[in-house]
Amino acid sequence: MAEFMGFLRPNGDVGIRNHLLILSGTVYANGVVERVADTIHGALPITHANGRCQVAPDLRVTRRYLAGTAMNPNVGGVVIVDHFKEEGMTAEDLADDIAPTGKLIATVNIRGDGGFISAIEKATRYAQDFARRISLYQREAAPMSKILFGTECGTSDTTSGLGSNPANGLAGEILIAQGGRMLMAECTEWMGCETWLTEKAASPAVAEAIIAGVRHMESRALASGEDIRGSQPTGDNMAGGLTTIEEKSMGAVKKIGDSPIIEYLEIGEAPTRTDPGNYVMYGPGMGAESISSMAAAGCQVLTFCTGGGHTSNHPVMPTIKVTANRQSFELMRDTVDVDVSGVFRDEITLAEAGQIVYDELERVCNGYLTKSEALRDNNSFAIHRVGPSI
Amino acid sequence: MKKVFVVYATDNVGTVVLEPIRSGDHVTCNGERRDIEIVAHDDIAYGHKIALMDIAAGDTVLKYGLSIGSASCDIRAGDHVHTHNVESNRGRGDLADRGAVSAE
Repeated sequence: MAEFMGFLRPNGDVGIRNHLLILSGTVYANGVVERVADTIHGALPITHANGRCQVAPDLRVTRRYLAGTAMNPNVGGVVIVDHFKEEGMTAEDLADDIAPTGKLIATVNIRGDGGFISAIEKATRYAQDFARRISLYQREAAPMSKILFGTECGTSDTTSGLGSNPANGLAGEILIAQGGRMLMAECTEWMGCETWLTEKAASPAVAEAIIAGVRHMESRALASGEDIRGSQPTGDNMAGGLTTIEEKSMGAVKKIGDSPIIEYLEIGEAPTRTDPGNYVMYGPGMGAESISSMAAAGCQVLTFCTGGGHTSNHPVMPTIKVTANRQSFELMRDTVDVDVSGVFRDEITLAEAGQIVYDELERVCNGYLTKSEALRDNNSFAIHRVGPSI
Repeated sequence: MKKVFVVYATDNVGTVVLEPIRSGDHVTCNGERRDIEIVAHDDIAYGHKIALMDIAAGDTVLKYGLSIGSASCDIRAGDHVHTHNVESNRGRGDLADRGAVSAE
């Protein structure tokens, strides 16, 4: 069984990075978080616009995103900052959620700790201590079966469904054959290929959940006054050669392979199963919210398949950009990691393209920086909202 | 000789991903199916599909090894395959009484 060198966490998880997070509990702690992260070697700030005046179901999703991001195996320690007290999601609540992982956790409260300046000082001291302690952690051999491999597609074009997505699905099959798991979200894109997905469902309950998830996302769209299906494929899709909704959706979901779908997850929820295979998660097509939900679910690494080129990169979960569009690769050579456009020129087979994607994934698991990581372009932390601000 | 790309071995259509096809061009395939040579009957633009074999009216049009719809008329090998000769089998309330709508 193939191995990689990763960071073994106290709860048995294995990270491919060893990050220190400075985590905002609420929007009003962002300023403190940014100052602390600026000061400390390697610290990653996680800031956002949420945490206040949210209805309960929405706040629960935010809490799952924030706690899940800190629980991600790639995180070695976390300093959580909040500003006063938000019922249902204080820094202590988040710390309680994260505690079972056994990683380093500290909390700072801006009011309780004496205001902005004192909070920065206290959080900076925790962060300095944590940064040095986690720097002692060494990579150790771990089985590839420990990897939860997230996958996403965005700014798709003709080359996506034919090249980068199927190559990615084959890369996932290579990981699954070694006991690993692959996670796909974006249930908006399952519309039109529910049958292909439900046929792969490991149980009737998983199949029913897939159908219910698509219906729920569809009803959200309808409630907004938009029928996303009545106009699919869109006019520009058809001009580009896409004929039916089935064709459009299949191009998207082919980024997972033929293995069974083991479990259906709610947004940001970690799998409860460890069986090798595919996992699917409810969630929107919005890329940053989608990949952040997969990082919160525990994905250590993600492939982002793109046709037109994309800059998406999650701060905690290395995001490998894959394209089969040579022109996009040339234009965004500093951002897109893998070019599999050779399948169209008869230079490589789809199977070889899958192996190329897998090999890159394995290198990144062993510590190789993605292009966006090297640039510190950590642009894609975003939280999905399921309710209005009140 | 122009080439189209076939993504799955059982597909009966290929997609133009290199140079556009002109009516009368001889066409072969890259990708997962290479046993076919056809003559194009239409101009076919980048991203559009060509029939690799005859597809009778009502037969399934296969891409990714899966149905992307049904032929709405007889399609000859070499024809442009698009909305004028393929219809979706999804969201078809008009076909519900024939049981042709897949489970939602």
